[in-house]
Formats: sequence, structure tokens, C-alpha cells
Amino acid sequence: MNIVVLVKSALDEGELRADSEGHPILVGAATKTSNFDMNGVEEAVKAKESNGGTVTVLSLGGQDAKKAIKEAMAMGGTKGTHIVTGPEDAPDSLATAFCLASVIKRIPELDVIFCSEGSSDTYQGQVGAMVAEFLGVPFLAYAKNIRLQAGKVTCEQNFDGRVVVSEARLPAVVSVVSEANVPRYPTLLQVMVAGRKPIEDIAFGSLQVPEYPRTGTKILGIYAQPSDRKKTMLEGSPTEASRKLVDALRSEGLI
Amino acid sequence: LKSFSALHESVLVSQYGQEAETGAALLRGVDLLLQEKVAPFSLALDRGGSTIDGPRRALFEHGLCRMPYPAELGGAGAKFGVFAMAMELVGSADASTAMSIGIHNTVAEAVARFGTPEQRERLLPGLLAGEKLAAFALTEPSSGSDARSMHTRATKGADGYVIEGSKMFITNAGEADVYLVFAATSGGHGAFLVESSNSGLKVGGELGKLGMRGSHTAEVRLVDCHVSAGSLLGKEGAGFEYAKQLLDSSRIVMGMICVGIARAAYDRAIAYSKARELFGKRLSDLDLTKEKIADASIGINAARLLCMQAARLKEAGKPYSSEAAQGKVFASETAVRVCDWAIQLFGGYGYTDEDIHRHWRDARLLTIGEGASEVLRLLIASRELEREG
Repeated sequence: MNIVVLVKSALDEGELRADSEGHPILVGAATKTSNFDMNGVEEAVKAKESNGGTVTVLSLGGQDAKKAIKEAMAMGGTKGTHIVTGPEDAPDSLATAFCLASVIKRIPELDVIFCSEGSSDTYQGQVGAMVAEFLGVPFLAYAKNIRLQAGKVTCEQNFDGRVVVSEARLPAVVSVVSEANVPRYPTLLQVMVAGRKPIEDIAFGSLQVPEYPRTGTKILGIYAQPSDRKKTMLEGSPTEASRKLVDALRSEGLI
Repeated sequence: LKSFSALHESVLVSQYGQEAETGAALLRGVDLLLQEKVAPFSLALDRGGSTIDGPRRALFEHGLCRMPYPAELGGAGAKFGVFAMAMELVGSADASTAMSIGIHNTVAEAVARFGTPEQRERLLPGLLAGEKLAAFALTEPSSGSDARSMHTRATKGADGYVIEGSKMFITNAGEADVYLVFAATSGGHGAFLVESSNSGLKVGGELGKLGMRGSHTAEVRLVDCHVSAGSLLGKEGAGFEYAKQLLDSSRIVMGMICVGIARAAYDRAIAYSKARELFGKRLSDLDLTKEKIADASIGINAARLLCMQAARLKEAGKPYSSEAAQGKVFASETAVRVCDWAIQLFGGYGYTDEDIHRHWRDARLLTIGEGASEVLRLLIASRELEREG
């Protein structure tokens, strides 16, 4: 089975700092593999373990994307492909999807492409659907309980409180929700072995992204969410203050 | 909760260049595991409400002890410095677990470096996988820093040795499957691999320690302890030299554990200083606090670099006794100072809350164990004088 999984090196939101005006400091910001992508990788590796075949880990981005690819390879990915962008490239979701689809098209007898529901930094959730469109294959969004059998994929999707069971023919793109599985920890030996495997580099410029219609999205500003802590001072003797505390907790529905 | 930071990564890049990324990937994996399987149990371990086996096993199964050994011995082939940094992360998550694994690794290193091919084949797979736990038995009730004057004797007989004596403050005692016991012999000193199943090996009661309470420490007595000739590690007469070399290496690991302990206390103190208000200001706004924060940060970062420098020398096959001792002295004393400051910053809560003062109690061991600061200063001076001479 020829399986592809898409991963992204995302901004590490835990390390992100804001400047005095509340703008995140993006220059030199720490990155990590997008959390949700680990669920996509886990699903891809499980599919390989059940059906045999290969898992190609594919990522587009700067040098940090290699870290994400290696992590996915340590979890069980067979080989890695990196579409290398430079600092000036900054492709948006559509250009990213075009490039990913262009590289995926080179894989003969493709069976399934896994991706996550969205990246843990921008969470736009667009790339998977766009890749499916470029490839002309079905797209199953927000999937869990995924089963691959005899040329088709079935899954469950939660929509508006209902569980929808969907089926699509293969090849298909499947976006995996975080509750679909628990990603495995690669052991040290798996990390070492993955570290030694080569990754195929493809220059972003070589993919000849057409003068595609821009998605029309434009980021006007990014701000840190203000988080003022609610403070309440309870005055009075310890007995009075504790009574007020109990009342306050009750009024908040906490006890 | 993340412990492995961009700062660690920059140290790896400066030491290992292009090879840094594999080390960073290993450490990110260890860090994830620590946050889930070790750190949440640390306080309970200190209080005696949990056992060390779970956290230690999780790290063994992950392959932590394979890290610095070559692939042909069953290792992962990572740099020793990367392993040392992993031990900083473990020390930060739980000092007792780090201590237990650090000592275990010293014995694994002994077998890997000095063991006969038969000993390596018999013991190393189990030690590197953590299926067999090891203890290092050098110190005696009446000789710690003065290890050469040990009273434990191994007398050679027709079919092996008989060991008689007593070993003190032995980490992993009672749990270990194999003990590396140092003893005087007619030809100098020997190191013997004694299995826990040997009826001549007796473990005393658990010692009531100030810190590192999650790990097990006891006296180990050797009473008419018969071992085969194949239990002698490497060559007879070389035991004391082995001990010195193993301790040099172990001091880098212990130094890095201290960096981890210091960082655990430091992170708590920083968070508290931002939350606690005094005279209408946050503690972190007070200049006296800022000075302490700066001193703690300088100490932690300098200690890490000093230990990592020793690790680099070890990797390069150059002498590193002095540098390892410097790293261990500086890191352990920094850890005690930083953890003491953290207690002071927390005030009454620091003195009464186990979750704060345990870091100081853990750190306090390491200005004594694996070479007391005073003795290590003598060693450093002696090495430096030799070098200049």
C-alpha cells in the first residue's frame, strides 16, 4: 500500500512571545511538528503495519520541516520528501497544496493520503481539501475509526453532534482528528535510525507554481489574546471571608 | 511543562554542528516521555507514595540506557554529551529516578569498557535494555572519599574469589540484579560483578535519607561471598583505576542531574515570583529578586556548559578528569544555592511545602556523593598543577 502523510513544522505556541504591542514575535520563533499531524502519522503507520507498503512523509517549508519529517520517520515513516522553501517564498495554503499535490502525483499507484484536521498554529484546515481537489480524489474530513479495505476507506465523522459514517473509493485524502488515536512515542533507536535515513529535497522553485488565483485570504494582523486574570479580594475576618469565598464559588457554579 | 528548550538545542549545535539535530530529536522524545511518565510521579516518589520502578522502566523501555553506547554493543550510538543532556532532563523531572539510572549506567559503562567479551555478552544486553538493574559498590562505612583504603577483601581460591566486607550508601541496593563490588586483592584492587542471587550478598535496611527519597539506598554486606573467576571485571589489580575512570565519567552525568534539579527549582521560583505580590508589587519586580534570578540563570547555564565541555573531551578521547570534577563541583554547588534561594523566595511555603524543599534536599546529596566537593577540588588542583608542570 502506498501511503502518504502530510506534516508541517508549525510555530511552537508554547514558546511564542508577544511584543509590547501584543504582536507575536515571529522572527526566530521556536517551531515544532504540528501537534495534530502526529495523529495523521499514527494513522499512516497503523495502515502500513496492517496492510504492508510504504509511508512517504511529505512536508513543505524551511529547514525546520526536516525535523518534522524525521520525527514522522522515527514513528514509522518509510521515507521523507521535503519541498524546500526559502525565506522569500511564503506560499499560502493554495500554493502549498499545489506543491504537495504535484509531488504526490509522482507516486505511482497511490492508495491513501493522511493529513491532520489543521495545523496547531494557524488551524486553517484548508490544505488537505485543496490537495484532494488538485489530485481529483475524494476527501474525508475530520475522520476517526478509519478502516482501509478493498479499494475503499470508511470512517466516522462527528458533525453537529451526529456521527456520520462515510465511505470513499481509494485513493483518497483523509484528515484525521486528534481523538482518532494516541500517537506512539518513537524509541531512541527508532529516532537514531530515522536520523540516518536520507530525505529527498525538492526545491519549491522547481515546482513551477502557476499564477494561481490567490485564495483571497490576507493576514491583516496577528495579536496575542489578552488574558487579564480575574481577581476578587475578600475582606473581613477569616470566617466572614471563607463564607464569602464559598458564596462566590457557588455563584460561579464551581461547587 | 516542556523541559528541552532552544537553549539546549543551541548547546548541541555549538558542540555537534550538523549532527546536533539527531541529538535534539532524541532529547525531544525523552522530554515528552518525562512529562507524561516521570514528572507527574515525582512528588509522590519523594513522599514514599509511589515506587521508582514505573518511571525508571518507562525510560529503560524508551532506550535511555542504550543512548551513549555503540550499535555493536546494542547501543543507540548517540554522543555521550547528548546522553548527559538527557540526564539533565531526567534530573529536572525527577532527581531520584535520574540518580538510580545514573548509577546503573556507571555499571553498564564498566562492563562495556572494561568487561571481558564473555561479560559483555552475558550482561550488557540486559543492562542496556534495563531488564537488569545495577548498583555500584565502592564506598565503605569507614572510607568514602578515601576509597583506596577500602577494607573489603577478595581472596583468591581454587575456583574463584571469596569477598568479605561491607559497602555503604549503595544506590539501587535491594533492587539491583547485579552489584559492581570493589575489593582489595593480593594484586591490588579488583572489581567484581556479583549477582543479587548470591547468598553471600546481604542488603541492609533502607537508609533514611534527606533527599533522593524515591531511590533506594542501603548498606551491602559481603559475607563469605563466593564468586567465580569470571566475575572479576577485566583484570585483577586494575579495579581502582577502573573506579577512577568510571567516576570521572559519572561526574559529568551527576553534574548534569544537578543542572536539572536546579532548573526544576528555578522554574518554580520564577513562576512564583511573577504571581506573588508584596508591598503592592510582584516579587519579580523587586531588584533583590532580579539579582537572584540573574545569578541562578548564570549558574545553571554555566554549569551545563562546564559539564558539556567535559563530555566533549571524553568523546574526543582526551583527558577530562579535572573538567568533569569542575562541572560536578560547580553544578552541585549551584544546585544547592539555587534550590536554597527558591525556598527563601517561597518563604514559609518554601520551608513547609515538600514540593519546593525537596529540590534542595535532592541537590544536597550531590555535593557529597560521587566525590565530595572538597576532594574534587584537590583532584582539580592536582590535575591542573600536573598540566602546568
